[in-house]
Amino acid sequence: MNKTLKQAAPQKRMRSGTSWKHDIRLNWGIYLIYLPIFVYLIIFNYLPMAGIVMAFQDFKPARGFWGSEWVGFANFMDFFSSGEFLQILRNTLVISILGLSVGLVSAILFTLLLNEIKFRWFKKSVQTISYMPYFISAVVIAGMIIDFTSANGIVTSFLVNVFGIPRENLLMNPSYFWWINLLSGLWQGLGYSSIIYISALGNVSQELNEAAAIDGANRLQRTWHITLPALRPTIVTMLILNIGSLLNVGSDKILLIYNPTIYSTADVISTHVARMGLQRMQYGYSAAVGLFNSIVGTILLIGSNYLSRKLADTSIF
Amino acid sequence: MIEKLTPSRVVFNIINYSFMILLCIVCIAPVWHILMASFSDPRTMMATPGLFGWIVGSPTLEGYRIVLSNPSVLTGYRNTIIYVSAATLLGIVLITMGGFALSRNTKLKKPLTLMLIFTMMFSGGLIPSYIVNMNLGLLGNPLALIIPGSINAFYIIIMKNAFDQISPSFEESAKLDGAGPLTILIKIMLPLVKATVAVIVMFLVVQHWNSWFPASIYLSRRRDLWPLQLFMREILVQNDTKMISAAEAASAASLVNNLVKHCITVVGTLPILCVYPFAQKYFVKGVTLGGVKE
Repeated sequence: MNKTLKQAAPQKRMRSGTSWKHDIRLNWGIYLIYLPIFVYLIIFNYLPMAGIVMAFQDFKPARGFWGSEWVGFANFMDFFSSGEFLQILRNTLVISILGLSVGLVSAILFTLLLNEIKFRWFKKSVQTISYMPYFISAVVIAGMIIDFTSANGIVTSFLVNVFGIPRENLLMNPSYFWWINLLSGLWQGLGYSSIIYISALGNVSQELNEAAAIDGANRLQRTWHITLPALRPTIVTMLILNIGSLLNVGSDKILLIYNPTIYSTADVISTHVARMGLQRMQYGYSAAVGLFNSIVGTILLIGSNYLSRKLADTSIF
Repeated sequence: MIEKLTPSRVVFNIINYSFMILLCIVCIAPVWHILMASFSDPRTMMATPGLFGWIVGSPTLEGYRIVLSNPSVLTGYRNTIIYVSAATLLGIVLITMGGFALSRNTKLKKPLTLMLIFTMMFSGGLIPSYIVNMNLGLLGNPLALIIPGSINAFYIIIMKNAFDQISPSFEESAKLDGAGPLTILIKIMLPLVKATVAVIVMFLVVQHWNSWFPASIYLSRRRDLWPLQLFMREILVQNDTKMISAAEAASAASLVNNLVKHCITVVGTLPILCVYPFAQKYFVKGVTLGGVKE
């Protein structure tokens, strides 16, 4: 066994040594098929990455990347020392950690409860209906939020009648924004984000479950000791991915529903970048904020992946 | 496994089923409310609080008449259909080609895959992309909604996984017959990954149909090129209904506006909501494919 391996090794090395020519001759067609994707990635993904140099410039579109003045870390300093920095960072973290934790826990709870439903058609119908909000566009969601939370809106009236809050436009009061954003996100994403857990339930061993039942384990015990451990790899994977995008709070919905009165709780990094860059045309500054966002995101992704490989023996790369 | 129905189990079942029904109601109610309001009499609607369970006042199609005869809405609809078809077609062709090429055993397979995956972990960000696209002449150009968003690295990986599952024997027998890679891809591989292609097409259609942000930054001054979502944003979010109500009598305008908001929401959302239940079995598969195998 050992001998054959040793004999095979030099042969293999020789083959890979000469194989560049061989590879091109054999696979030129495949490379040709990949060429459009390669060109696309260079233009639309890697050129913008190179364009990050503008974060260190006082960028003027007319002068371009070569002609704009270099300013070192001034754009970053502007961001970190601006009065808004801490507020934006806090909003970003609060909004995404709230969304991540509440979203994850409710998706898992929903999955476990749905798993207890035995009528197949009922289960299927609940699933289909729960996915529906995911397919509604951000513009329509924003329109509904604006309508329902206006001074005479349905949600406002409900809260006025039940909790006795003062009647006002809820989107004009900074203290409601986190709730509005969290609950509308939950409404839209609950069913969809549970798909992956529901399909992971297929991995739960039926025999183990039955054996435990015979041994007298009740439902709660079986859920805790059999079902949840079977879901663990999926939960960890989703957690890593979500932590990696912790700073990328979806700006789509917030850009549509926020307004200057509630910037104190609603302005997050991505909306700040869009507003500063596209409306006020502070290109260099916004690119710097965006770069900060990307770097922290990448560090979080790699860090959480590393931690979970060490602690939970599950990782995505 | 046959369960004994203990009293506590019965109580649990009642609570659980009720909870699920409540959840469904919560999901549907806002959408149902809008659908019902779109047929309702605007005058009665103003005086009726709460979510509508049924049409309020005498049913009317007036809102739909206004919306569907409005030139802006029709332009938006036409543009959206063009963008969705073009971007989805371009996207699925490139994604399939990319996934196929990366699933083959070439010497550059590893570096090319890494180069693709890196784009999922790190990006230049909004502003550098905007500047690059501006320099490419995409400002005010409808191609801005078709080319830059057409590929998604994640979908290419899903596609690659699908091709990886196919037994090499299919390819080898075709190679012996002298088939080139493109022939192998189209004639042999493609029929075997139909389901994955269907999933990705559906996700692309939904994504492009619902997209508004790229249009709002690249086409903001070209109303004639706006997709439907931008017209909807103007009416629903910016509360600017002059495009609709210019033609209506000023006195009735504010009443009609309210009706029109509901109608345009239905008109812009219904196509997607009609399609997704049929695509459900595919997208469940797609989400699972993407999430579990990375």
